[in-house]
Amino acid sequence: MVETLVQNIVFGLLLGALYGLAAVGLSLVFGVTKFLNVAHGELLMLGGYASFWLFNLYRVDPFLSLPLAALALVVVGVVLYLLLFSRTVKMDEEQKVQTTMLIGFGVSVILQNLAQRLWTADDRSITTAYSRMSWTLFDIRFPIVRVVSMVVALVLVIALHQFLQRSYFGKAIRATVEDWEEATIIGIDTHRVYLVAFIIGAALAGMAGTLVSVGYSIVPSMGLEWTLVCLVVMTLGGLGSIIGTFVGGLILGVAQALTAFAVGGAYRQVVGLLLFLLVLAVRPQGLFGVKEG
Amino acid sequence: MLNVENINVGYKDLQVLWGVSFQVNQGELVALIGPNGAGKTTTLKAIMGLRRPWSGAIYFEGCNLCKAPAHKMAELGIAMVPEGGRVFTGLTVLENLELGAFPPHARKHMAQTLEEMYQLFPRLAERKFQRAGTLSGGERQMLAIARALMSRPKLLMLDEPSFGLAPLLVDRIFAKIQEINQAGMTILLVEQNVRAALELAHRSYVIQNGRIVGTGTSEELLSFEFVRSAYLG
Amino acid sequence: MSRRDIAFIISTLIAAAALAVVPTITTKESVINLLVLVYIYVMMASSWNIIGGIAGQVNLGHAAFFGLGSLVSRILWTKGWPLSISLILGALVPVAFALLIGAPSFKLRGVYFAIGTLAMAQILFITTRNLFPMISSLPTEALSTYSLAPRYYMALGMTLLTVLVVFWLSRSRWGLGMVAVREETSAAESLGVSALQHKLLALCLSALFAGLAGGVFAYYSAGYYLFFPFFPTWTFDAVMATYIGGTGTVIGPIIGAVFYVLVKEILALRFVELHPFIFGTLFILVVLFLPGGMIQIWSRLRRLLVRKSTLAPSAAKEEQVPETNMVHDRPAVE
Repeated sequence: MVETLVQNIVFGLLLGALYGLAAVGLSLVFGVTKFLNVAHGELLMLGGYASFWLFNLYRVDPFLSLPLAALALVVVGVVLYLLLFSRTVKMDEEQKVQTTMLIGFGVSVILQNLAQRLWTADDRSITTAYSRMSWTLFDIRFPIVRVVSMVVALVLVIALHQFLQRSYFGKAIRATVEDWEEATIIGIDTHRVYLVAFIIGAALAGMAGTLVSVGYSIVPSMGLEWTLVCLVVMTLGGLGSIIGTFVGGLILGVAQALTAFAVGGAYRQVVGLLLFLLVLAVRPQGLFGVKEG
Repeated sequence: MLNVENINVGYKDLQVLWGVSFQVNQGELVALIGPNGAGKTTTLKAIMGLRRPWSGAIYFEGCNLCKAPAHKMAELGIAMVPEGGRVFTGLTVLENLELGAFPPHARKHMAQTLEEMYQLFPRLAERKFQRAGTLSGGERQMLAIARALMSRPKLLMLDEPSFGLAPLLVDRIFAKIQEINQAGMTILLVEQNVRAALELAHRSYVIQNGRIVGTGTSEELLSFEFVRSAYLG
Repeated sequence: MSRRDIAFIISTLIAAAALAVVPTITTKESVINLLVLVYIYVMMASSWNIIGGIAGQVNLGHAAFFGLGSLVSRILWTKGWPLSISLILGALVPVAFALLIGAPSFKLRGVYFAIGTLAMAQILFITTRNLFPMISSLPTEALSTYSLAPRYYMALGMTLLTVLVVFWLSRSRWGLGMVAVREETSAAESLGVSALQHKLLALCLSALFAGLAGGVFAYYSAGYYLFFPFFPTWTFDAVMATYIGGTGTVIGPIIGAVFYVLVKEILALRFVELHPFIFGTLFILVVLFLPGGMIQIWSRLRRLLVRKSTLAPSAAKEEQVPETNMVHDRPAVE
C-alpha cells in the first residue's frame, strides 16, 4: 500500500517535470510578450512527432533528436510569429491577450487537423532498446527514460534561468518585460526580444514533446490537454519565475498521481483543473505575468 | 546638431504639439521649460521615435529621425533620461548600467565607460549589486543619468531630473548636469523647475499649450514679464 | 419598432415558412439531416453570441451547456418522461449551472473568464465521460417508429425561437445594457447599468438556448455517446462560426453557422476533412483583420454602392452604415 503510494508519487514527479518544462515555455512567452499562445500544446505535439518520425524512419535516438525537434519548432515559431502574432504587438495589453488567445485557437485547430491528416489519429510512442529498462530502489521502480527525461527537463529549465539571469541578452529580455518603452529608449529592439522569447518558448515546447513521446505517448489531439496543463502549472507556479513554474509542474504531477491513487486514473486531469479554478477564485485578477527575478 | 522642424504630434484625435520648432547646437545646454502638460515629455518622445509626428521633421546630424525605428535612436547617439528617474527596478544597478551600453559602439567600451560612471557617481559603485528598486529617489536619478551616458551619446536629453527630489538633491543633480555639459556633452534639459533650469542653460525655449512661445538666453527670458510672473512668482 | 426591424421579423418568418415546406417536397434524408445540423449550429452560434458577442465575454465552455442540455433531456426522455418536460428541464439545468458559476466567474476579467470557463467545461466533459461511458440508444420500439419529420420541425421551431429572442434582446434595454457593459464597463456602471446583472442574464440566456439545442440533439439522435455533446469542439465550432459570420450582430452568427455547416458537409463529401484548415484560417483572418466578420464585408460593400449611386458626396455620408460590431447597425448606447 505504502509502496504503491510512493511509486505513484515518483511517477507523478517524473511526469510533473515535463509539465514544468512545457509550462516554463508558455510562461516565458506570456511574461515577455503578453501573448497567450493557446496553441502551445500543439507545438509540443509537433515536437513529439518530429522525434517520433526521426526515430522510426532514420533510427535517430530520441535524446539525440532533441536539438532537431527544437530546431523544427524554432522554424514553426518564426513563421507563426511573423505571420500572425507580430500583428498584435501594438495592441494594449488586455486586447493583446484576448486576440492572441483567439489566434492561438485558430492555429491549434489547424495544426491538430494537419497532424491528423498526415499521421492519423493513432497514439504513438518511441520504443527504443532501453525503453523498458528501469532502476529499482527499495522496490520503487524508476524507468530509465523517464528519469533521464526529468534530468533533461531540469537541465533545460536551469539553463534558461541562467540565460535570463546572466547573459546580456537575457538581461535585455528582463528589462523589456519590466518596461518596454524604457528598453526601447536604451536601444533594445523589443520586437526582436519578443521574437526570441517566442522562439525559445516554441523550442522548449518541442523538446518537451520529444520527451513525452519517449516516456509516454503522443496523439494529434493532445494539444488542448497540454495547453490546459501549462495554464494550470503557470497558475500554481504563481509568481511567474522560471524555477517557480517548474516546481508548479512537479506539484501538479504529484497532485494528479495522488488523485489517481485515491479515486482512479480517470479523474487525474480533473484535479489540475479544480486546483486552477480554486486559485482563480482566491485571486481573480491576474495570476501569471509577474516578472522574472 | 538637433533640428526639430514644425512638428505636429498627438494621441488619437487629441493634438498635443502644434508646429513646434527648435534646435540644439553642438556643446550647448538648452532648456525646454514650461508648465505641466505643456507637451514637454511628448516632444522628447517624438525625438526618441516613441510618438510619430503627424507632420514636420526632426533632424539629428542631418539624419531624418522620423524614418528611423525607435530603438535606433540610441545607436545614432541620442540618450534620454526618462521622467522621475525611471530605471529597471528589478535589475541590479550594475545590470542597469550594462544595459545602458546596448548600442554596439557603446558595448565595445563598456568596461571603460562603467569606470567613468563610477567616478562620476561614486554612490553607484557602492551599490552596484543592489537591486535598483532599493535605491532612494536621488540615487535612482543618478542611475538613470549614468545609464543614459553608458551609451556614449552625442546628445543627452533629460526629462524633469528635478522631479520629486528635495531641493538639496536638485542642486546636486543639476551640478552634475552642468559638470557633464562642461565635459563636452550636448544637453537638452526639459524642466518645470524654471528657476533652476534657467540658471543652468545657455539658451531656453518656453513651451505652453503645445506651442513654443518664447526663446532666448536666460537673461533675455527673465526680462519677459510673462516668464517672470508665470514661473518665478 | 423601426421598418428595418419589421422587415427582419417578416423575412425571418418567411424563411422559416419556406424551410417548413422542405420535408413535403423532398424525401431525401440527407437533406433533412443536413438542415437539422444547420439548425443546431445556428442555435449554438446564436446562443454563444449572447454572452460572447453581445455582452463581450468570451466563454470557452459553451459545450458544457449544450452537453448538460442533451444529457438531462436524453436521460429523462429515455426513462419515459414526456418529451416536453424533458426538453424544458434540459434547458433549465444549464441555466441553473450558469447561475451557479456566473457570479464567481464574472469576477475574472477577460481572458481569465475564457480559460476559467474552458476549465469548467473540461471538468464536466471528463466527469461525464467517466460516469456515462456507454452509447445511449433509443429503445427498439422507439427506433422502429423513428421518423425524421417531427425532429425536423422541432429543430426548426426551436431555432426560430432562438433567433427571435436574440433579435428581441438586441432591441431591448437589456441588450443595449449588455453592449454598454461590453464597450466600457466603468462607464456603463456609472450610468446605472449593473455589469454583473447584465452579464449574468446574458450567460443564463446563452445557457438556456444552448441547453435547448442539446435537447434537440438528444431528441434527434438515434444513438450517441452521452459525453459526445461535451466535446470542446462544440464550443470551438460555435465560436468560429460566430466570429466568421459577425460577432455581436443578430444575423452574423446565423450566416456563420449556415456557412460553416454547408462548407463542412460539402467538403466532407468531396475531399477528406479539409474544413478545419479553412475555418481555422478564416477565423484567424477575421480576428486579425475583419473583426466584424462576413457581415462587415456586406456593410462595406453596401456603403461602397451607396456612395457610388449617390451624386452628392454629402448625402452619401449621411447614409453611411456604421460598422456592424454594434448590435444591428445601431449606436451602442442611446
